[in-house]
Amino acid sequence: MSMVGLILKDLMTIQRQIKTQAFLLIFFIFMSFIVQQGSMLFSLVIILVTFQAITAITYDEQSGWDKYANTLPISKGDIVLSKYILSILLMIMGLIFALPIVWIILRFTPNNLAPEEFFLTFNLIVTLAICILAILLPIYIKFGSIKGKMVLIAICFIPGFLFGLINKQSSDMFFVLTNIKQFMFLAPIAGLLILWLSSLISTAIYKQKEF
Amino acid sequence: MNAIEIHDLHKSFEGFSLKDVSFSVPQGTVMGFVGENGAGKSSTIKCMLNLLKKEYGEILLFGKDIVEHELSIKNDIGVVFDDLHIPETLNATQLDKFMKKVFKTWDSSYYFERLRQFKVPEKKRIKELSRGMRMKLSIALALAHHPKLLILDEPTSGLDPIIRDEILDLFLAFMQDETHSILFSSHITSDLEKIADYITFIHNGEVLFSEGKDVLLYEYGIFKGSEEEISAIPEHAILRKRNGAFGVEALVQKSEINEVFSLEKPSIEDIMLFYVKGSV
Repeated sequence: MSMVGLILKDLMTIQRQIKTQAFLLIFFIFMSFIVQQGSMLFSLVIILVTFQAITAITYDEQSGWDKYANTLPISKGDIVLSKYILSILLMIMGLIFALPIVWIILRFTPNNLAPEEFFLTFNLIVTLAICILAILLPIYIKFGSIKGKMVLIAICFIPGFLFGLINKQSSDMFFVLTNIKQFMFLAPIAGLLILWLSSLISTAIYKQKEF
Repeated sequence: MNAIEIHDLHKSFEGFSLKDVSFSVPQGTVMGFVGENGAGKSSTIKCMLNLLKKEYGEILLFGKDIVEHELSIKNDIGVVFDDLHIPETLNATQLDKFMKKVFKTWDSSYYFERLRQFKVPEKKRIKELSRGMRMKLSIALALAHHPKLLILDEPTSGLDPIIRDEILDLFLAFMQDETHSILFSSHITSDLEKIADYITFIHNGEVLFSEGKDVLLYEYGIFKGSEEEISAIPEHAILRKRNGAFGVEALVQKSEINEVFSLEKPSIEDIMLFYVKGSV
Protein backbone atom coordinates (compact mmCIF):
# COMPACT_ATOMS: atom_id res chain seq x y z
CA MET A 1 0.00 0.00 0.00
CA SER A 2 2.79 2.41 0.83
CA MET A 3 4.13 1.88 -2.71
CA VAL A 4 0.79 3.10 -4.12
CA GLY A 5 1.00 6.04 -1.71
CA LEU A 6 4.50 6.98 -2.87
CA ILE A 7 3.54 6.87 -6.56
CA LEU A 8 0.38 8.85 -5.84
CA LYS A 9 2.43 11.45 -3.95
CA ASP A 10 4.86 11.78 -6.88
CA LEU A 11 2.04 12.11 -9.40
CA MET A 12 0.44 14.82 -7.25
CA THR A 13 3.83 16.56 -6.88
CA ILE A 14 4.48 16.75 -10.63
CA GLN A 15 0.83 17.27 -11.62
CA ARG A 16 1.28 21.01 -12.14
CA GLN A 17 4.50 20.48 -14.10
CA ILE A 18 2.74 17.99 -16.39
CA LYS A 19 -0.09 20.47 -16.97
CA THR A 20 2.43 23.15 -17.94
CA GLN A 21 4.09 20.79 -20.36
CA ALA A 22 0.77 19.89 -21.92
CA PHE A 23 0.91 23.31 -23.63
CA LEU A 24 4.31 22.40 -25.00
CA LEU A 25 2.86 19.15 -26.29
CA ILE A 26 0.01 20.91 -28.07
CA PHE A 27 2.63 22.99 -29.87
CA PHE A 28 4.56 19.85 -30.81
CA ILE A 29 1.41 18.14 -32.08
CA PHE A 30 0.69 21.15 -34.26
CA MET A 31 4.27 21.12 -35.56
CA SER A 32 4.13 17.38 -36.22
CA PHE A 33 1.05 17.82 -38.38
CA ILE A 34 2.78 20.56 -40.37
CA VAL A 35 6.00 18.65 -40.96
CA GLN A 36 4.11 15.36 -41.08
CA GLN A 37 6.49 13.69 -38.66
CA GLY A 38 4.71 11.25 -36.38
CA SER A 39 7.86 9.71 -34.98
CA MET A 40 9.28 13.07 -33.96
CA LEU A 41 6.20 13.75 -31.86
CA PHE A 42 6.37 10.25 -30.51
CA SER A 43 9.98 10.63 -29.30
CA LEU A 44 9.25 13.99 -27.73
CA VAL A 45 6.23 12.77 -25.81
CA ILE A 46 8.01 9.69 -24.48
CA ILE A 47 11.12 11.60 -23.41
CA LEU A 48 9.15 14.51 -21.90
CA VAL A 49 6.75 12.35 -19.91
CA THR A 50 9.19 9.68 -18.75
CA PHE A 51 11.64 12.20 -17.40
CA GLN A 52 9.05 13.64 -15.09
CA ALA A 53 10.28 10.92 -12.71
CA ILE A 54 13.52 12.92 -12.55
CA THR A 55 11.48 16.06 -11.81
CA ALA A 56 9.87 14.20 -8.90
CA ILE A 57 13.33 13.31 -7.54
CA THR A 58 14.39 16.96 -7.83
CA TYR A 59 11.32 18.13 -5.87
CA ASP A 60 12.07 15.51 -3.20
CA GLU A 61 15.66 16.67 -2.95
CA GLN A 62 14.72 20.35 -2.66
CA SER A 63 12.35 19.67 0.22
CA GLY A 64 14.49 17.09 2.06
CA TRP A 65 11.71 14.55 1.51
CA ASP A 66 13.92 11.50 2.15
CA LYS A 67 14.55 12.67 5.71
CA TYR A 68 10.79 12.72 6.30
CA ALA A 69 9.90 9.61 4.28
CA ASN A 70 12.36 7.57 6.32
CA THR A 71 10.53 8.42 9.54
CA LEU A 72 7.42 6.72 8.10
CA PRO A 73 6.83 2.96 8.02
CA ILE A 74 8.05 2.67 4.42
CA SER A 75 10.97 0.46 3.44
CA LYS A 76 13.95 1.99 1.66
CA GLY A 77 13.46 -0.55 -1.15
CA ASP A 78 9.90 0.73 -1.72
CA ILE A 79 11.07 4.35 -1.80
CA VAL A 80 13.55 3.55 -4.58
CA LEU A 81 11.34 1.15 -6.50
CA SER A 82 8.48 3.66 -6.51
CA LYS A 83 10.56 5.99 -8.71
CA TYR A 84 11.15 3.19 -11.25
CA ILE A 85 7.50 2.20 -11.31
CA LEU A 86 6.57 5.87 -11.62
CA SER A 87 8.77 6.29 -14.70
CA ILE A 88 7.32 3.19 -16.37
CA LEU A 89 3.79 4.36 -15.54
CA LEU A 90 4.54 7.78 -16.99
CA MET A 91 5.91 6.15 -20.12
CA ILE A 92 2.74 4.08 -20.52
CA MET A 93 0.68 7.24 -20.03
CA GLY A 94 2.79 8.96 -22.69
CA LEU A 95 2.25 6.05 -25.08
CA ILE A 96 -1.50 6.07 -24.52
CA PHE A 97 -1.52 9.79 -25.21
CA ALA A 98 0.82 9.81 -28.21
CA LEU A 99 -0.06 6.67 -30.15
CA PRO A 100 -3.54 7.74 -31.37
CA ILE A 101 -2.18 11.12 -32.51
CA VAL A 102 0.80 9.51 -34.21
CA TRP A 103 -1.57 7.05 -35.87
CA ILE A 104 -3.70 9.92 -37.17
CA ILE A 105 -0.63 11.70 -38.53
CA LEU A 106 0.59 8.53 -40.25
CA ARG A 107 -2.87 7.64 -41.54
CA PHE A 108 -3.97 10.99 -42.91
CA THR A 109 -0.79 12.55 -44.17
CA PRO A 110 1.17 11.33 -47.16
CA ASN A 111 4.32 10.05 -45.48
CA ASN A 112 7.01 7.63 -46.27
CA LEU A 113 7.13 5.65 -42.99
CA ALA A 114 6.11 2.02 -43.44
CA PRO A 115 4.39 0.31 -40.47
CA GLU A 116 7.38 -1.95 -39.77
CA GLU A 117 9.70 1.02 -39.82
CA PHE A 118 7.45 2.80 -37.37
CA PHE A 119 7.52 -0.28 -35.16
CA LEU A 120 11.32 -0.14 -35.30
CA THR A 121 11.36 3.54 -34.34
CA PHE A 122 8.85 2.84 -31.56
CA ASN A 123 11.05 0.10 -30.09
CA LEU A 124 14.16 2.18 -30.43
CA ILE A 125 12.70 5.23 -28.67
CA VAL A 126 11.14 3.25 -25.83
CA THR A 127 14.35 1.28 -25.27
CA LEU A 128 16.46 4.42 -25.40
CA ALA A 129 14.24 6.14 -22.82
CA ILE A 130 14.39 3.08 -20.53
CA CYS A 131 18.19 2.83 -20.85
CA ILE A 132 18.70 6.53 -20.11
CA LEU A 133 16.51 6.16 -17.01
CA ALA A 134 18.48 3.08 -15.97
CA ILE A 135 21.64 5.19 -16.02
CA LEU A 136 20.17 8.40 -14.62
CA LEU A 137 18.15 7.13 -11.66
CA PRO A 138 21.09 5.59 -9.72
CA ILE A 139 23.17 8.72 -10.45
CA TYR A 140 20.39 11.02 -9.20
CA ILE A 141 19.89 8.84 -6.12
CA LYS A 142 23.61 8.71 -5.34
CA PHE A 143 24.74 12.24 -6.20
CA GLY A 144 21.59 14.37 -6.31
CA SER A 145 20.13 16.51 -9.06
CA ILE A 146 23.02 18.91 -9.72
CA LYS A 147 25.51 16.21 -10.67
CA GLY A 148 22.66 14.25 -12.21
CA LYS A 149 22.00 17.12 -14.60
CA MET A 150 25.64 17.11 -15.70
CA VAL A 151 25.36 13.44 -16.56
CA LEU A 152 22.10 14.11 -18.38
CA ILE A 153 23.84 16.69 -20.57
CA ALA A 154 26.67 14.22 -21.22
CA ILE A 155 24.13 11.59 -22.25
CA CYS A 156 22.63 14.04 -24.73
CA PHE A 157 26.00 14.27 -26.45
CA ILE A 158 26.51 10.51 -26.68
CA PRO A 159 24.00 9.94 -29.53
CA GLY A 160 25.73 12.66 -31.57
CA PHE A 161 29.09 11.09 -30.84
CA LEU A 162 27.84 7.64 -31.85
CA PHE A 163 26.31 9.06 -35.00
CA GLY A 164 29.72 10.49 -35.88
CA LEU A 165 31.32 7.09 -35.40
CA ILE A 166 28.66 5.39 -37.52
CA ASN A 167 29.23 7.88 -40.31
CA LYS A 168 32.97 7.18 -40.33
CA GLN A 169 32.55 3.45 -40.62
CA SER A 170 29.30 3.57 -42.53
CA SER A 171 29.69 0.44 -44.64
CA ASP A 172 30.38 -1.85 -41.66
CA MET A 173 27.76 -0.16 -39.50
CA PHE A 174 25.11 -0.47 -42.16
CA PHE A 175 25.66 -4.22 -42.15
CA VAL A 176 25.50 -4.39 -38.34
CA LEU A 177 22.38 -2.26 -38.17
CA THR A 178 20.56 -4.40 -40.74
CA ASN A 179 21.28 -7.41 -38.59
CA ILE A 180 20.24 -5.69 -35.37
CA LYS A 181 16.96 -4.70 -37.03
CA GLN A 182 15.80 -8.32 -36.93
CA PHE A 183 16.13 -8.42 -33.17
CA MET A 184 14.70 -4.99 -32.55
CA PHE A 185 11.43 -6.35 -31.12
CA LEU A 186 13.49 -7.72 -28.22
CA ALA A 187 14.99 -4.33 -27.42
CA PRO A 188 12.35 -3.08 -24.94
CA ILE A 189 12.58 -6.37 -23.03
CA ALA A 190 16.36 -6.00 -22.81
CA GLY A 191 15.77 -2.39 -21.72
CA LEU A 192 13.46 -3.47 -18.91
CA LEU A 193 16.05 -6.02 -17.77
CA ILE A 194 18.64 -3.24 -17.61
CA LEU A 195 16.16 -1.07 -15.69
CA TRP A 196 15.58 -3.89 -13.20
CA LEU A 197 19.36 -4.25 -12.66
CA SER A 198 19.56 -0.48 -12.25
CA SER A 199 16.85 -0.61 -9.56
CA LEU A 200 18.90 -3.18 -7.63
CA ILE A 201 21.94 -0.89 -7.78
CA SER A 202 19.88 2.14 -6.74
CA THR A 203 18.38 0.27 -3.76
CA ALA A 204 21.86 -0.78 -2.61
CA ILE A 205 23.03 2.85 -2.92
CA TYR A 206 19.98 4.19 -1.07
CA LYS A 207 20.37 1.73 1.80
CA GLN A 208 23.86 3.12 2.43
CA LYS A 209 22.67 6.72 2.52
CA GLU A 210 22.23 8.80 5.66
CA PHE A 211 19.69 11.61 5.93
CA MET B 1 8.48 0.27 30.52
CA ASN B 2 10.59 2.82 28.70
CA ALA B 3 9.37 4.34 25.45
CA ILE B 4 12.98 5.17 24.55
CA GLU B 5 16.20 3.63 25.85
CA ILE B 6 19.59 4.67 24.53
CA HIS B 7 22.77 3.02 25.77
CA ASP B 8 26.28 4.18 24.88
CA LEU B 9 25.35 5.59 21.48
CA HIS B 10 28.42 6.58 19.50
CA LYS B 11 28.59 8.26 16.12
CA SER B 12 31.47 10.27 14.62
CA PHE B 13 31.28 13.12 12.16
CA GLU B 14 33.94 15.43 10.82
CA GLY B 15 34.98 17.52 13.82
CA PHE B 16 32.21 16.26 16.10
CA SER B 17 31.00 13.05 17.68
CA LEU B 18 28.27 11.70 19.89
CA LYS B 19 30.10 10.13 22.80
CA ASP B 20 28.41 7.27 24.61
CA VAL B 21 25.05 8.99 24.77
CA SER B 22 22.73 7.22 27.24
CA PHE B 23 19.30 8.18 28.56
CA SER B 24 15.80 6.80 28.70
CA VAL B 25 12.27 8.15 28.43
CA PRO B 26 9.77 6.32 30.66
CA GLN B 27 6.39 5.62 29.07
CA GLY B 28 3.81 8.27 29.91
CA THR B 29 6.33 11.08 30.31
CA VAL B 30 7.71 14.05 28.38
CA MET B 31 11.47 14.25 28.05
CA GLY B 32 12.93 17.65 27.25
CA PHE B 33 16.13 17.27 25.25
CA VAL B 34 18.17 20.43 25.58
CA GLY B 35 21.52 21.72 24.45
CA GLU B 36 22.91 24.59 22.40
CA ASN B 37 22.96 24.52 18.59
CA GLY B 38 25.34 21.84 17.39
CA ALA B 39 25.42 20.01 20.75
CA GLY B 40 24.18 16.77 19.18
CA LYS B 41 20.40 16.86 19.71
CA SER B 42 19.43 16.38 16.07
CA SER B 43 22.16 13.80 15.46
CA THR B 44 20.93 11.76 18.42
CA ILE B 45 17.35 11.96 17.15
CA LYS B 46 18.46 10.98 13.64
CA CYS B 47 20.27 7.93 15.06
CA MET B 48 17.10 7.06 17.00
CA LEU B 49 15.14 7.09 13.74
CA ASN B 50 17.88 5.21 11.86
CA LEU B 51 18.32 8.19 9.54
CA LEU B 52 21.95 8.11 10.62
CA LYS B 53 23.73 4.82 11.16
CA LYS B 54 25.15 4.48 14.66
CA GLU B 55 28.68 3.19 15.07
CA TYR B 56 27.94 1.36 18.28
CA GLY B 57 25.52 1.44 21.17
CA GLU B 58 21.96 0.32 21.58
CA ILE B 59 18.75 2.17 20.72
CA LEU B 60 15.48 0.64 21.87
CA LEU B 61 12.06 2.12 21.16
CA PHE B 62 9.17 0.39 22.97
CA GLY B 63 11.81 -2.14 24.08
CA LYS B 64 12.65 -3.12 20.47
CA ASP B 65 15.85 -2.45 18.54
CA ILE B 66 15.26 0.33 15.99
CA VAL B 67 17.44 -1.22 13.27
CA GLU B 68 15.89 -4.70 13.55
CA HIS B 69 12.27 -3.59 13.97
CA GLU B 70 12.39 -0.33 12.04
CA LEU B 71 9.07 -0.49 10.20
CA SER B 72 6.92 -1.82 13.05
CA ILE B 73 8.36 0.83 15.41
CA LYS B 74 7.76 3.59 12.85
CA ASN B 75 4.08 2.64 12.74
CA ASP B 76 3.79 3.85 16.33
CA ILE B 77 5.78 7.07 16.24
CA GLY B 78 5.08 10.57 14.97
CA VAL B 79 8.00 12.81 14.03
CA VAL B 80 8.13 16.59 13.72
CA PHE B 81 11.27 18.32 12.47
CA ASP B 82 12.03 22.04 12.57
CA ASP B 83 10.65 22.31 9.04
CA LEU B 84 8.22 20.45 6.85
CA HIS B 85 10.29 18.22 4.57
CA ILE B 86 7.60 17.64 1.98
CA PRO B 87 7.58 18.81 -1.69
CA GLU B 88 6.16 22.32 -1.72
CA THR B 89 3.77 21.72 -4.59
CA LEU B 90 1.59 19.46 -2.42
CA ASN B 91 -1.27 20.60 -0.20
CA ALA B 92 -2.78 19.28 3.06
CA THR B 93 -5.60 17.41 1.30
CA GLN B 94 -3.17 15.62 -1.02
CA LEU B 95 -1.07 14.64 1.99
CA ASP B 96 -4.14 13.02 3.54
CA LYS B 97 -4.46 10.81 0.43
CA PHE B 98 -0.79 9.83 0.74
CA MET B 99 -0.89 9.14 4.48
CA LYS B 100 -3.99 6.95 4.13
CA LYS B 101 -1.88 4.58 2.05
CA VAL B 102 1.04 4.67 4.48
CA PHE B 103 -0.67 4.15 7.86
CA LYS B 104 -3.38 1.57 8.46
CA THR B 105 -4.45 3.63 11.47
CA TRP B 106 -4.61 6.97 9.62
CA ASP B 107 -7.57 8.98 10.91
CA SER B 108 -8.66 11.46 8.22
CA SER B 109 -11.41 13.04 10.30
CA TYR B 110 -8.99 13.67 13.20
CA TYR B 111 -6.47 15.13 10.71
CA PHE B 112 -8.95 17.56 9.15
CA GLU B 113 -10.25 18.47 12.61
CA ARG B 114 -6.70 19.49 13.63
CA LEU B 115 -6.28 21.45 10.39
CA ARG B 116 -9.50 23.34 11.08
CA GLN B 117 -8.51 23.88 14.73
CA PHE B 118 -5.18 25.33 13.58
CA LYS B 119 -6.79 27.19 10.66
CA VAL B 120 -4.42 25.51 8.20
CA PRO B 121 -5.85 25.91 4.67
CA GLU B 122 -6.60 22.47 3.24
CA LYS B 123 -6.08 23.29 -0.43
CA LYS B 124 -3.22 25.79 -0.28
CA ARG B 125 0.13 24.52 -1.49
CA ILE B 126 2.85 24.14 1.18
CA LYS B 127 4.84 26.77 -0.73
CA GLU B 128 2.19 29.37 0.12
CA LEU B 129 1.97 28.55 3.85
CA SER B 130 3.69 30.63 6.55
CA ARG B 131 6.28 28.99 8.80
CA GLY B 132 3.76 28.71 11.64
CA MET B 133 1.19 27.06 9.35
CA ARG B 134 3.78 24.61 8.04
CA MET B 135 4.68 23.57 11.58
CA LYS B 136 1.02 23.13 12.50
CA LEU B 137 0.50 21.00 9.40
CA SER B 138 3.58 18.99 10.34
CA ILE B 139 2.14 18.37 13.82
CA ALA B 140 -1.28 17.38 12.45
CA LEU B 141 0.52 14.92 10.14
CA ALA B 142 2.48 13.48 13.07
CA LEU B 143 -0.63 12.98 15.23
CA ALA B 144 -3.30 11.68 12.86
CA HIS B 145 -2.24 8.01 12.89
CA HIS B 146 -2.52 8.08 16.71
CA PRO B 147 1.11 7.33 17.56
CA LYS B 148 2.27 6.24 21.01
CA LEU B 149 5.46 8.28 20.88
CA LEU B 150 6.14 11.74 19.48
CA ILE B 151 9.69 12.65 18.54
CA LEU B 152 9.94 16.40 18.16
CA ASP B 153 13.11 18.06 16.90
CA GLU B 154 12.87 21.80 17.58
CA PRO B 155 9.18 21.97 16.64
CA THR B 156 8.68 25.44 18.14
CA SER B 157 11.85 27.19 17.00
CA GLY B 158 11.22 30.37 15.05
CA LEU B 159 7.53 30.52 16.04
CA ASP B 160 5.83 33.34 17.89
CA PRO B 161 4.79 32.78 21.56
CA ILE B 162 1.07 32.51 20.75
CA ILE B 163 1.52 29.73 18.18
CA ARG B 164 4.04 28.05 20.50
CA ASP B 165 1.50 28.06 23.30
CA GLU B 166 -1.20 26.53 21.04
CA ILE B 167 1.21 23.82 19.98
CA LEU B 168 2.25 23.05 23.56
CA ASP B 169 -1.43 22.70 24.51
CA LEU B 170 -1.85 20.13 21.78
CA PHE B 171 1.10 18.14 23.12
CA LEU B 172 -0.38 18.31 26.62
CA ALA B 173 -3.67 16.96 25.23
CA PHE B 174 -1.72 14.12 23.58
CA MET B 175 -0.23 13.28 26.99
CA GLN B 176 -3.68 12.73 28.52
CA ASP B 177 -3.28 9.10 27.46
CA GLU B 178 -0.94 7.46 29.99
CA THR B 179 0.66 5.22 27.39
CA HIS B 180 1.82 8.19 25.32
CA SER B 181 5.33 9.67 25.53
CA ILE B 182 7.18 12.61 23.99
CA LEU B 183 10.82 13.37 23.31
CA PHE B 184 10.98 17.12 22.82
CA SER B 185 14.23 18.63 21.62
CA SER B 186 14.49 22.38 21.97
CA HIS B 187 16.75 25.19 22.99
CA ILE B 188 13.72 27.23 24.07
CA THR B 189 13.92 26.09 27.68
CA SER B 190 10.76 27.94 28.74
CA ASP B 191 8.72 25.58 26.51
CA LEU B 192 10.25 22.61 28.26
CA GLU B 193 9.58 24.07 31.70
CA LYS B 194 5.90 24.08 30.72
CA ILE B 195 5.55 20.49 29.59
CA ALA B 196 8.61 18.33 30.37
CA ASP B 197 8.77 15.76 33.19
CA TYR B 198 12.45 15.03 32.64
CA ILE B 199 15.32 17.00 31.16
CA THR B 200 18.30 15.52 29.34
CA PHE B 201 21.09 17.97 28.69
CA ILE B 202 23.59 17.31 25.91
CA HIS B 203 26.75 19.33 25.41
CA ASN B 204 29.51 18.69 22.85
CA GLY B 205 28.00 15.30 22.04
CA GLU B 206 27.94 14.16 25.68
CA VAL B 207 24.99 13.85 28.02
CA LEU B 208 25.81 15.96 31.08
CA PHE B 209 22.67 15.09 33.02
CA SER B 210 19.32 13.38 32.60
CA GLU B 211 17.08 14.20 35.58
CA GLY B 212 13.50 14.81 36.62
CA LYS B 213 12.54 18.46 35.99
CA ASP B 214 11.34 18.86 39.58
CA VAL B 215 14.64 17.52 40.89
CA LEU B 216 16.44 20.17 38.86
CA LEU B 217 14.14 23.04 39.74
CA TYR B 218 13.46 22.27 43.41
CA GLU B 219 16.55 20.46 44.61
CA TYR B 220 19.04 22.83 43.03
CA GLY B 221 19.58 26.42 44.04
CA ILE B 222 21.76 29.33 42.98
CA PHE B 223 23.92 31.02 45.57
CA LYS B 224 25.30 34.45 44.74
CA GLY B 225 28.05 35.94 46.85
CA SER B 226 31.71 36.73 47.20
CA GLU B 227 34.49 34.15 46.88
CA GLU B 228 34.77 34.24 50.69
CA GLU B 229 31.08 33.57 51.26
CA ILE B 230 31.08 30.68 48.81
CA SER B 231 34.01 29.07 50.61
CA ALA B 232 31.63 28.60 53.56
CA ILE B 233 29.50 26.20 51.49
CA PRO B 234 30.56 22.54 51.77
CA GLU B 235 32.45 21.64 48.60
CA HIS B 236 30.43 18.51 47.86
CA ALA B 237 27.24 20.63 47.71
CA ILE B 238 28.60 22.81 44.88
CA LEU B 239 27.78 21.38 41.47
CA ARG B 240 29.16 24.20 39.31
CA LYS B 241 30.66 27.65 39.93
CA ARG B 242 31.06 30.66 37.68
CA ASN B 243 32.00 34.29 37.88
CA GLY B 244 28.96 36.54 37.76
CA ALA B 245 28.60 40.29 37.31
CA PHE B 246 28.81 40.95 41.06
CA GLY B 247 31.00 38.17 42.42
CA VAL B 248 30.75 34.42 42.21
CA GLU B 249 27.66 32.31 41.52
CA ALA B 250 27.32 28.66 42.43
CA LEU B 251 24.80 26.00 41.52
CA VAL B 252 24.29 24.04 44.71
CA GLN B 253 22.36 21.04 45.96
CA LYS B 254 19.80 22.50 48.37
CA SER B 255 19.61 19.50 50.69
CA GLU B 256 23.36 19.59 51.33
CA ILE B 257 23.61 23.12 52.66
CA ASN B 258 22.40 25.00 55.68
CA GLU B 259 19.14 26.93 55.36
CA VAL B 260 20.85 30.16 56.39
CA PHE B 261 22.23 30.49 52.89
CA SER B 262 19.67 32.32 50.81
CA LEU B 263 19.27 30.64 47.47
CA GLU B 264 17.58 31.67 44.24
CA LYS B 265 15.39 29.23 42.33
CA PRO B 266 17.14 28.25 39.08
CA SER B 267 15.54 27.96 35.66
CA ILE B 268 16.56 25.23 33.21
CA GLU B 269 18.40 27.91 31.29
CA ASP B 270 20.40 28.85 34.40
CA ILE B 271 21.34 25.22 34.99
CA MET B 272 22.37 24.87 31.32
CA LEU B 273 24.57 27.96 31.57
CA PHE B 274 26.22 26.68 34.76
CA TYR B 275 27.05 23.38 33.09
CA VAL B 276 28.36 24.98 29.88
CA LYS B 277 30.14 28.07 31.22
CA GLY B 278 30.85 27.15 34.81
CA SER B 279 33.57 25.03 36.36
CA VAL B 280 33.50 22.27 38.95
